[in-house]
Amino acid sequence: MALLEVKDLRTSFYTRDGIVRAVDGVSFSLDKGETLGIVGESGSGKSVTCYSLMRLIPEPPGRIDGGTAMFDGQDLLTMSQKELRKIRGKRISMIFQDPMTSLNPFLRISTQLIEALRLHYDVDKKTAINKAIAALEEVGIPEAAKRVHNYPHEFSGGMRQRVMIAMALITEPDLLIADEPTTALDVTVQAQIMDIIKKRQEDLGTAVILITHDLGVVAGTCDKVNVMYGGRMMESGTAEQVFYEAKHPYTRSLQKTIPSLQTKGEELYTIPGLPPDVSKPIHGCAFYPRCPYPKTGKPEGDRPSLVEMADGHCYADCGFCDSSAPIETVLAKNDSPDEVEQAGAAE
Amino acid sequence: MSEHVEPAVPVDPKNDFLVLDDVHTHFDMGKTLLTRESKGVVKAVDGVTLTVKEGEILGLVGESGCGKSTLSRTVMQLIRPTSGRIFLEGKELSALSDTDIRKERINFQMIFQDPYASLNPRMTVLDTLSEAIRTRHPNVNGDALRARVADLLRTVGLNPNQMKRYPHEFSGGQRQRVAIARALAPEPKLIIADEPVSALDVSIQSQILNLLKRLTREMGLTMIFISHDLSVVRYIADRIAVMYLGRILELGEASDVVDHPLHVYTRALMSAIPRPDPTSEKTRNRIVLQGDPPSPMNPPEGCNFWPRSPVEHDERMKHEEPVLTEIRPNHFAANCPFCVQAAAETEPA
Repeated sequence: MALLEVKDLRTSFYTRDGIVRAVDGVSFSLDKGETLGIVGESGSGKSVTCYSLMRLIPEPPGRIDGGTAMFDGQDLLTMSQKELRKIRGKRISMIFQDPMTSLNPFLRISTQLIEALRLHYDVDKKTAINKAIAALEEVGIPEAAKRVHNYPHEFSGGMRQRVMIAMALITEPDLLIADEPTTALDVTVQAQIMDIIKKRQEDLGTAVILITHDLGVVAGTCDKVNVMYGGRMMESGTAEQVFYEAKHPYTRSLQKTIPSLQTKGEELYTIPGLPPDVSKPIHGCAFYPRCPYPKTGKPEGDRPSLVEMADGHCYADCGFCDSSAPIETVLAKNDSPDEVEQAGAAE
Repeated sequence: MSEHVEPAVPVDPKNDFLVLDDVHTHFDMGKTLLTRESKGVVKAVDGVTLTVKEGEILGLVGESGCGKSTLSRTVMQLIRPTSGRIFLEGKELSALSDTDIRKERINFQMIFQDPYASLNPRMTVLDTLSEAIRTRHPNVNGDALRARVADLLRTVGLNPNQMKRYPHEFSGGQRQRVAIARALAPEPKLIIADEPVSALDVSIQSQILNLLKRLTREMGLTMIFISHDLSVVRYIADRIAVMYLGRILELGEASDVVDHPLHVYTRALMSAIPRPDPTSEKTRNRIVLQGDPPSPMNPPEGCNFWPRSPVEHDERMKHEEPVLTEIRPNHFAANCPFCVQAAAETEPA
């Protein structure tokens, strides 16, 4: 049985300007020790998905409209707050994007580190502090015994994020949710942080959900990848499937935007247009207005659901575009003036 | 062979567009309360010599705390250098009075990292841009001013009918476009962009990079582009300077620095960039630098990279400061034999 099984999760925000369907039917599962990457642009619903699992959505205006999230046989979405508190921080932990604002500046690191331990386990303060020191050493904080009593402002950004990781892992959780853990950090520190998460995951057998907008980070760390767009999953599969055999035009466009893959001197590829406004109902394929592939018609009606292929690789196929060609040839065709002239002549 | 080596970057304040001649920016941390002992000096910029040619984009790369932002603020004269001189088109900026600097600053403008913090939330785009335009053209009013604002918005890819909006009504990428429009408004010759895309999504990053590159070409601007991400700088810059603990460790044409780094630190920066390829990413050997850079208050002597370098340094290079030397044509590196050797030996990143 999977550690976490999310089915048809739907979360909306009921605002004065209408209903924002931030997450509109997301399903995935995660096994013990696995790493799942959730990739998407701002507003694609990737963070709201994970906040919903932790029940951290402010209600109102937010509301979880439906779906189930079975964690070890229990539904996270319907359990009482009391039961939830036994799981949150103990069996499921979370790391947030900004290490500057997610630590309490008034409290010593030691106080914040042992809080979860003391809440969930029957340990005395001294044992807890020793565990905290050990946890800091694990994430590579030098002189941990001395630094454990420091305040957050005495650490650099990378160190603070390491403290966050130590704090999240101190209860040895089954699941770690990392929401853009390295976005605010330097590339060198990013490499260190990802290494630490990977190493601790191997030691403890923790499953990880990694939320990011950076496909590069996903490649090196994740077993499975979900690509989200407009509150839904567009494609999911193993990292290899999503990177080497991407099916959905959005996944392919997203890969094309990575600066490190592009040749210098040419204009960087950007996906034209803007992400969809999820406060308005979306008909057909959400990516249709920005899709570079030639289409046989305009998708209407319900949004296409994920189609599973033989090898477990899924993608949302609207059925109106032939996404078999590599994106380079499609873009080259779109740009080529001959094509335009021919099209003009044909009319 | 122990002859004295002159600093190898030639500077010519009369002819070069922007010249930084041995610039030091130090911050005195003050004295302790009772004993009046000095708390020390942070050497944020510690001897930088650079020239920027007219119309070129210079990429300045380094980790947090390496002094790249302090250097940019020193060029802007927002912080005055402790020693050294800065020339823009032959005029010594570092010698001007505060009043004269204000007048001169219409020629060099800055774009900041956080478009949420760098725009006044109580001013509409029209107000913000009008104010900036009037720094050069104080007598432009009414419709002429609006026309200029509309032009600027079109230049940066925004719709002119959005000029009455406030910053909060824009997305992050659009706000950064407004910040770029504001920097362009006084018709500057030099733009300093301090991490302009770090706070943005990958897909928005590309749009802003394209915009900046197009604008510098079309308007003949010169730009210093600051970032911690070599993959971004590689794309936009003509030349790259790599900074570490207040000093330049490597300087050269962008393709040379990225494809054939001379210093092992540049190699390490390259290898830290995650590659979007699961197979090679899970198997390749990376140089992962341990820890953070040392404190610039008490920087290591000699080759300042030795405590984090993957290669052992001998006693001499732990004390003797390596000189920025032209090792290949137009490609300079701090000439520490260990770091240079290590860069040559490691597999291309």
